[in-house]
Amino acid sequence: MEHLTSPKLTPGVHCLSLRHKGMYVTSMPYPEESQFYDSYDATAYWCVETQRGFGPDGASVRPDCCTGERDCCKH
Amino acid sequence: MIYGKIVRSPYPHAKVVSIDLSAAEKAPGVKATLAYMKAGDEVHYQGDPVAAVAADTEERARDAARLIRVRYEALPQVSSEAQGMQLIGPRWSTTQPNTRAGQRAETGDLDAGFKQAAHIVEQTYSTHIITHVCLETHGAVCEWDGDKLTAWVSTQGVHQCAQGYAQALGIPQTNVRVITQYMGGGFGSKFAPDSQGIICAKLAKAAGVPVKLMLDRKEEHLDTGNRPSAFAKIKAGVSSDGKLTAFDGTSWGTGGAGASSGFPLPYLYQFPNRKRVHTDVYINAGQQRAMRAPGHPQGCFLTEILMDELADRVKMDPVEFRIKNAPPLAPNAQWVKYFAEGAKRFGWDKRHATGDPTPGPIKTGMGVSAHLWGGAGRGSTAHVDIMSDGSVVVKCGTQDLGTGTRTLVAIVAAETFGLPVSGVKPEIGDTLYPFSGGSGGSTTAASVTPAIRVTSLNALDALFAKVAPTLGVTPDQLAAEGGRIFVKGNSSKGLSWKDACKLIGTEPISVDGKWEDGLSSSGTSGVQFAEVEVDIETGIVRIKRILAMQDCGLIVDKLTAESQAYGGVVAAINFALFEDRILDRVTGQMVNPNMEWYLLAGMSDIPKIDIVLNNMPERGVIGIGEPPTVSTASAIANAVRNATGATIRSLPLHPHKVLAAIEQERAGGTN
Repeated sequence: MEHLTSPKLTPGVHCLSLRHKGMYVTSMPYPEESQFYDSYDATAYWCVETQRGFGPDGASVRPDCCTGERDCCKH
Repeated sequence: MIYGKIVRSPYPHAKVVSIDLSAAEKAPGVKATLAYMKAGDEVHYQGDPVAAVAADTEERARDAARLIRVRYEALPQVSSEAQGMQLIGPRWSTTQPNTRAGQRAETGDLDAGFKQAAHIVEQTYSTHIITHVCLETHGAVCEWDGDKLTAWVSTQGVHQCAQGYAQALGIPQTNVRVITQYMGGGFGSKFAPDSQGIICAKLAKAAGVPVKLMLDRKEEHLDTGNRPSAFAKIKAGVSSDGKLTAFDGTSWGTGGAGASSGFPLPYLYQFPNRKRVHTDVYINAGQQRAMRAPGHPQGCFLTEILMDELADRVKMDPVEFRIKNAPPLAPNAQWVKYFAEGAKRFGWDKRHATGDPTPGPIKTGMGVSAHLWGGAGRGSTAHVDIMSDGSVVVKCGTQDLGTGTRTLVAIVAAETFGLPVSGVKPEIGDTLYPFSGGSGGSTTAASVTPAIRVTSLNALDALFAKVAPTLGVTPDQLAAEGGRIFVKGNSSKGLSWKDACKLIGTEPISVDGKWEDGLSSSGTSGVQFAEVEVDIETGIVRIKRILAMQDCGLIVDKLTAESQAYGGVVAAINFALFEDRILDRVTGQMVNPNMEWYLLAGMSDIPKIDIVLNNMPERGVIGIGEPPTVSTASAIANAVRNATGATIRSLPLHPHKVLAAIEQERAGGTN
């Protein structure tokens, strides 16, 4: 259930410390999923360094803000 | 072993001015203290961890925690979605905006769709925030041996947790062992060590002795995740013959401090012309985490209440209306079948039209709802040892959240070896065992059972190779069943399992294996029916019975599969009727962070629940942890609507909301 529900994290773009549940669950795509609803993002993200939803700089972590623009980002 | 305690912010939004540990350091029994935040850091929610202490007893740790002096500069807070969406007002963060544009999707021609509509419903629907309420709270026991850490953690992923510890503590992952023998519920909230796990490890390192740090119930409510809220203004059209034509939805919700709140909308049913725009709203409250079918219960409720309203507009039976608009029948899409079969089993023909005409204050009603989930797995690995005394041990680094995974491991191996379940020792919940994924997304059964089957078959082949010469046949001529190894077609020619294993010799059969394609798949469907009784004088809803029609591919073990469905339905009854995280509008603090005022169903609130599982062995194993919890609340809410004639478009169905909806209906209608 991840291909419709979680933006892909791209090495080189997103911080290597960014985590979400889908990265730890050995799931397989559900190919027919898109027949039953459109994409959405219910994903909870956390930083592997702080082990919470805020990075070392104190700001929240998500794919849209965990990029090279933050000093704490790791690539 | 000593005990850890975390000091948390009482403010939902503040700046830390100073942290003074000196008094706590001198307190009786204190072995270690830790400042988790520093002066100048921003606190984003009540319960944000600030400092910690470890002492020789839990009581002394609590006493010492009270001696840690933290000075805060309180900042204005955002306590609700409505407040967060105001253009002028408090901000949840000094550096980040209150809202963020979420997903936007558009299909077909919306204007044309509404032109085709004979009826249009335009309403606002919503669901509330609930917390995971794991009966076993989050926490760990951490013990260091030099630079090696052993952590007993309440976690949904031992291997995943080990990686978290290693990276957060800056030590090699090979130096971390995580153990979870038994676990009291996670529901999506326990994949990482979290702040409390890292604090526990740091306190243990500083104190030089093992530390136990388990959160209390208040901490659970504040800082270990929740299901986000969901709101949507929806305009939907239906043709005169009952076909959905158009859907225009503007949705929003909050996942707390800086976290997303997406959910699928519309859900399941086929609107050929549709548009949906979503906004994440951030507030000063604990962040959301994955919670049993993330997004689905919300999307399901918002869509399914709408479906009953649309069905009434075209004067169609809700089951007939859903069948007309459901996706076509397929192995992974059995709704049409379940609607029809379930209606028959449930006695749907006895359902009255909207609004129970029976005199008196007690009204009864029936409702229906449908759901789906993926549930495919991969990636698990396993190890099997067969000893010369006939004993068998199966090792897999998965974990049992209370779902029965340990039982599944034993059952699959035992059946492969032709042994009773007691003849196999399943060993799981330890990073010393072969890698398996975290238990989430309903993927565990579909990940683990194929790996156990493949590995057990490999081990059995090795045993056959040892036994075949004695029986004067080739290994491929042997079978294992009923505690014996015998020649196929001649069961008298064989050996008991124990005698066969004596041929192994001094070196045990020791085999690795992994998940292979073909033994599992994805895509489950389900339909649920509910019957309720509503007292229209008190607003109290009592559920009389629930019927859950569900598939999960091959049913490996009926007892544990049904148990998952029961648990899912009960959790959804809590979502529908009881649970509600309530924040004070003025202080932003949670007013019910306990299990007295945060309501949960008691034994007498649980109705008769019938589970009908559709065994589909040809599809292989698919997970069932999440799907049965998705549609129950919607079926209950539709049953309340059928009973009272009033549509309640917002969960939970607390008595005051039921009464308000009935009043509104009497005053001119909610439709």
